[in-house]
Amino acid sequence: MQRIIEEALMAAKKFGASYADVRVIDRAEEEISTKNGSVDGIKSSSSKGFGIRVIADGAWGFSSSFVLTDEEISRVAEEAVDIAKASAKAKIEDVTLSKIEIYQDRVEEQVKIDPFSVPITKKISILLNADKLMNLQGIILRRGGMYFSKEWKTFASSEGAYLELERVISNAGISAIATDGKDVQTRSYPSSFGGDYQRQGFEFNEEVKLLENAWRIANEAIQLLSAKPCPSGKMDIILESSQLALQIHESCGHPTELDRVLGEEASFAGTSFLTPDKLGKFKYGSDIVNIVADATAPFAIGGFAYDDEGIKAKKIYLVKNGEFVGYLNSRETSKKLGLEPMGAMRAESWNRAPIIRMTSINLEPGDKAFEELVSGIDNGVLMATNKSWSIDQKRLNFQFGTEIGWEIRNGKVQDMVKNPTYSGITYEFWRNCDGIGNNDYYHIWGLPNCGKGEPMQVMQVSHGASYGRFRNVQVGVLR
Amino acid sequence: MMTRDQIQTILKKSVSFSEGDQTEAILYGGKSYLTGFANNHIHRNVGENNYNLSLRVAFGKKIGSASVNDFSDEAIKNTVKRAVEIAKLQEENPSFVSFAKPEEAPEKDFFVEKTAEVTPDMRAEYVKKICDKSKEKGLNANGTFVIDLMQIGVLNSLGISRFGSLTVASLKSVILGDTSSGYSIETSTNVDDISVNSVIEESIGIAEMGKNPIAVEPGKYEVILSPYAFAEFISSLSYLALNARAVEEGSSFLAGNFGKKILGDNITIYDDGLSPETIPMPFDFEGVSKKKVVFFENGVAKDVVYDTLTAYKNGKESTGHSLPQPSSFSPYPMNIIMKGGDLSKDEIISHVEHGLYVHRFWYTNPMDPRRAVITGMTRDGLFLVENGKITKPVKNMRFTESIITALNNCIELSKEKRVMYDSSSITVPYVRIKDFTFTSITEF
Repeated sequence: MQRIIEEALMAAKKFGASYADVRVIDRAEEEISTKNGSVDGIKSSSSKGFGIRVIADGAWGFSSSFVLTDEEISRVAEEAVDIAKASAKAKIEDVTLSKIEIYQDRVEEQVKIDPFSVPITKKISILLNADKLMNLQGIILRRGGMYFSKEWKTFASSEGAYLELERVISNAGISAIATDGKDVQTRSYPSSFGGDYQRQGFEFNEEVKLLENAWRIANEAIQLLSAKPCPSGKMDIILESSQLALQIHESCGHPTELDRVLGEEASFAGTSFLTPDKLGKFKYGSDIVNIVADATAPFAIGGFAYDDEGIKAKKIYLVKNGEFVGYLNSRETSKKLGLEPMGAMRAESWNRAPIIRMTSINLEPGDKAFEELVSGIDNGVLMATNKSWSIDQKRLNFQFGTEIGWEIRNGKVQDMVKNPTYSGITYEFWRNCDGIGNNDYYHIWGLPNCGKGEPMQVMQVSHGASYGRFRNVQVGVLR
Repeated sequence: MMTRDQIQTILKKSVSFSEGDQTEAILYGGKSYLTGFANNHIHRNVGENNYNLSLRVAFGKKIGSASVNDFSDEAIKNTVKRAVEIAKLQEENPSFVSFAKPEEAPEKDFFVEKTAEVTPDMRAEYVKKICDKSKEKGLNANGTFVIDLMQIGVLNSLGISRFGSLTVASLKSVILGDTSSGYSIETSTNVDDISVNSVIEESIGIAEMGKNPIAVEPGKYEVILSPYAFAEFISSLSYLALNARAVEEGSSFLAGNFGKKILGDNITIYDDGLSPETIPMPFDFEGVSKKKVVFFENGVAKDVVYDTLTAYKNGKESTGHSLPQPSSFSPYPMNIIMKGGDLSKDEIISHVEHGLYVHRFWYTNPMDPRRAVITGMTRDGLFLVENGKITKPVKNMRFTESIITALNNCIELSKEKRVMYDSSSITVPYVRIKDFTFTSITEF
């Protein structure tokens, strides 16, 4: 491996790169899905390759290949430099990078049970047992799934960094869809998007309690068919932690990505309302809102040992006591604003250049018991498990729907309601947050499908959240 | 790029290494380049050389699959072995009958050398033209110029042997002003079909027209949707309704409605992988030739797309719409085309007394799959139309609307169409829709 890396860096330099880094990645994945009592698909895949990122003539170039031969390494290095030189023909200023500490390190993932050592039959058996428990009258579709990945990545740079990093991900989730011929309702466990994902081994799958929750969610899906519609109007809401996690993702994670803020994602993902003039001067939320970007969070799939620029994992505040105080950044963007590089550059795989991605963006837990949050509401709705999401390209106007809700009246959780939705403007919503659940309800949710960048890169990120209470929110959709 | 011979050799080896009753090998990939620009300069410029070998092995009704991007004999043997192990551990899939069987199929190729010859310097020249014009107008250019060179080979033990290649060039410009934005994209197999000048003209034109937007109240409006905006609706239909899986799983509103007239006379939508109106695909990821599938004919619900598995299950023939298997999204329509009308875009606008012109939608997501209710935002151009003319730019709004209702409320379609491509292609006209629901506004 070291020889391949050295050759790539030497070749880049020979062709004219003033800076180069190379990532070699070897990743194995396994995906098992069940549907209505049988195995729907099992896929085992592996992918290996390398990518070379260079600065030449003051501009970026990147190329990558699946062929790990001397000849191809040289061709790809030359192509990366040629591409950079072409970029320089339409540049405004030279790329400059913040200085960083240079590391040589090897980090193995601390897993108890290697998920690839567990027989597929055991994994299938858990999913089919959960499937059986969801097989109730009225359920038309029962799904279960597990996903595992293991990768070794070697990162090296022309500045002397050399990092060997292991990453193991495990996932499990189930869902049930009920119909009465007129309406269709879904419930998922432990959350939507295929369930929960953690940087752990198969021990995670043993702890996730699919079997203990399978009957409950199927039953809830059936109950939703005859539940009353969610009320409409301005009222108070409580979001359960997996829904609050997605709210954090869309309305805090994305708008604090400094590449978006500086317009670098305007062509696709959009820009951000959190412009640099607001840094340290903008009331993002109420005083109790504290949001961190924490790549050091244990087991979080937004976490890592080093990012794809070789920066050691850090925890920083994005929002402190309600004030907007920090960005997710890169060496290049931090330099532009004179900020500390905080290590948020990641690439989906060897064939993509790194871009700024969320790490683990977590809303710090508050001090409230669930009962306290509920008791403070005369008229409102408790909403759980995301069903739909949409937000404008500056991350201001959002609308979310959840799988299930319950009316809250006179300080008590009452009847189940179907099709709950709520909408608002990001900072108005967070400024109306007046209660956050305590650590007992706090969980870091793995979100495997954050899409960003051109070419598109799907990234694993995570979000910690407890319950959150928000006042005076628009519930329901004008129709 | 790999040669056709290299691809076929790997496929033959893969099938020969297998002890399965049936074996299928697919090799696809190629080279892909993207020059990205933002703030009037190139900020991202990337290339990729990648192929993937995907194998399926069947023992009776038990299927295993595995994939790899290392094509050494040892790696292929290991991958075959893994697929065999998985198949043997499986329970029987009662719906499985067979992988695809060979058929008479003329070879068609869509690889345009001119597109394959585009260099990084040439991509930079196109981009520079957009950036220079944008700077001259005091605006901010963003976008991408993509060149994809793709190959696919499919071989199975039943005698299927297909090879195809395709080039795609796509130039996109998103122009930002202080209070506005504009959008344009052109895509073709042949780079020479792309007019950088028309991309500049449309994206800068919309951005200039959009300066200093006013806010209007949310509510029901008559709208003219550009093909960019309308394609978002049709794209949602692709996975919510137009495939056999969605029908089987009950999420498609077509379930129970085949043969019934559920949309207006003017709605005819079909999938045709070989139409000159699309970015073509002659066969699918099982090697089955693309058949023309009509979803709606003059408003009558007709059919959906099938792969071999869903076809056997439903007593049908595959329509050639499989994705690489196993996939929870397969089958999938890859070349949707909507029949246009007789009017020009300008004639349609001239018929609107009071309404909105929507250039683009963004971040659309389903809220209620069965009723095909989706929500999303307008982006890069929203204008008030008064007395048959575009009069004022408007601040962006959120819509929440059922696709079924919108198609039923579609009163006019243009003769002009655009092809939108993002792995699959959608070709649609401008449409005029009454009583379209906007539910809230945003700040810009």
